[in-house]
Amino acid sequence: MARLRAEQLRITYGGTPVVPDLNLSVPDGKITVLVGPNGSGKSTILKAMARILRPHSGAVILDGKAIHALPTQEVAKQLAILPQQATAPEGMTVSELVAYGRFPHQRRLGLTASDREAIEWAMRITGMEELRDRPVHRLSGGQRQRAWIAMILAQQTDILFLDEPTTFLDVTHQLEVLQLLEKLNREQGRTIVMVLHDLNLASRYAHHLVVIQSGEVVCEGSPHEVITRQTLRDVFGVEADIVFDRRTGTPLCLPYGLAGAQDAAAASR
Amino acid sequence: MTEHTVRLSVRTDKPRMRVTGTLCVLAALLVVAFFVSMNTGYIRLSPLDVIRTLAGAGTGQQELILYHFRLPRIIMSIFIGIGFAISGCILQGVSRNALADPGILGINAGASLMVILFTFAYPTNEDVPVFMVPLLALAGGGLAAGLTHALSIRRHEGLSPVRLVLSGIAVAAGLDAAMIILTVKLSPERYQYVLEWMSGSIWGTSWPFVLALLPWLVVLLPMVYRKSNVLNVLGLGDEMAIGLGAKLDRERKALMVLAVGLSCACVAVGANISFAGLIAPHIARRLVGSNHRYQLAAAGLTGALLLLVADTIGRCILQPSEVPTGIVVAVMGAPYFLYLLAKSDS
Repeated sequence: MARLRAEQLRITYGGTPVVPDLNLSVPDGKITVLVGPNGSGKSTILKAMARILRPHSGAVILDGKAIHALPTQEVAKQLAILPQQATAPEGMTVSELVAYGRFPHQRRLGLTASDREAIEWAMRITGMEELRDRPVHRLSGGQRQRAWIAMILAQQTDILFLDEPTTFLDVTHQLEVLQLLEKLNREQGRTIVMVLHDLNLASRYAHHLVVIQSGEVVCEGSPHEVITRQTLRDVFGVEADIVFDRRTGTPLCLPYGLAGAQDAAAASR
Repeated sequence: MTEHTVRLSVRTDKPRMRVTGTLCVLAALLVVAFFVSMNTGYIRLSPLDVIRTLAGAGTGQQELILYHFRLPRIIMSIFIGIGFAISGCILQGVSRNALADPGILGINAGASLMVILFTFAYPTNEDVPVFMVPLLALAGGGLAAGLTHALSIRRHEGLSPVRLVLSGIAVAAGLDAAMIILTVKLSPERYQYVLEWMSGSIWGTSWPFVLALLPWLVVLLPMVYRKSNVLNVLGLGDEMAIGLGAKLDRERKALMVLAVGLSCACVAVGANISFAGLIAPHIARRLVGSNHRYQLAAAGLTGALLLLVADTIGRCILQPSEVPTGIVVAVMGAPYFLYLLAKSDS
């Protein structure tokens, strides 16, 4: 089942097609991760599917309706997006930021009891309660990312989009963020769609992995199906060994050389 | 569980109480400034005289001074301070640029140019139809804002805050040049009058001007306040604002129109003191944070206080002549603004 899917989506930037013709279904209640080389269009696809970018043609279908034609406030109750490198105005506190997640639910100014409940829950589950009165711009990178995730959680949507939520975080905070997302998916059945740079993290946390190259889906499926020597060579241009994580059984890749260089080396021999 | 909730609610309300306290202090300072300003002037009146006269038990001369000269001027200063401060608050929020103000976006220059053109049509002060002036200034400011807006929009990218500020500076510079050309053509007496006006003298100091400005504030301020959460969401960036369900372009345009309306009305009947629209939101942000629900209120109070104090100082510092309020605002505000910039930690 897929509540959300892209149908013949075409996205252009100033006339140049970045995504020529995309068909993609987002499995409900699963973690879907888009991977691909730099400039492959994965962030563009994520933005178009969250109606931040308007497609040239085609449609993103949410519950049978074209998302760009729906009232944007109604969409905001169904899906939330955390863009890459969101910045909060100076002086904004964590609890203020999280409260803004209630925007699509508010008919008038001021917070209702259910707003407050959602805000408290979002701060609790992200472990931001103790930091509620701290200004966001004074937090560490990992804390700041958790504050933003708390904000989109306060939006209380079934579907969450995140654009590279772990970029610029050290390994501890990367795990912290991804474990939080995994927990949300496992305990609450939220559908999560995100772009990740790190293939091994993607492989470990994704149920459904989508490989994007030049705006097209090259292959998709479980990490076992997708993370192969062939994919790594064709899409990322690297030669890699595939090993399997002893704990989780997920495939991990260990790149050892560039695909082109390998060919050159073989030819010269 | 209940104990937990109670503890939480106490913690959420604490900063809010601090904000309410700050707003009360600002309001109290405004009241003090009001009475001091009432006492100050060529003829001094004691606070007791002021209260007695306000209660309707003053002498004829006291009543004349208070009701005819001081009160309209004081109320005008307060109104203009509020108008510029709120306008600046909106523009800084919409453009996500802390240096935006009505002046930088060309609004003031457009409104001023229109008013100067108008003074050509009406060479004497007496028969100026007061209620026409705000409309003309609104048209001028609106045209300038529209021009700035048109210049800063690019297809596929929408409105870029940086380009908005840059084209606003260009538009303002062009309009200022046009104004200088026009003022050269004026007679010496008219030139004196226009120069005084451009340096920020409050000229609409009688009741009709106050009454002309009043409806603008009464209509526009509640509309702005109702948009305070939209301003908050816009502050998180375009993508986040769309993600949260804000109708980005429509909201931004509506807010710009409100800012243009407020500052044009103030320029038209009051004075050209857009610097107040830059500095008051800054002070407000320092005092109550970035939530526009409180920031708008704090900026309005700060702007009113700033202008009232500046006008009072301007009235009495070089008696019997006056220093234009705009100059006093700049002299008072500039050092404080530099101090803020030096202290800011990003």
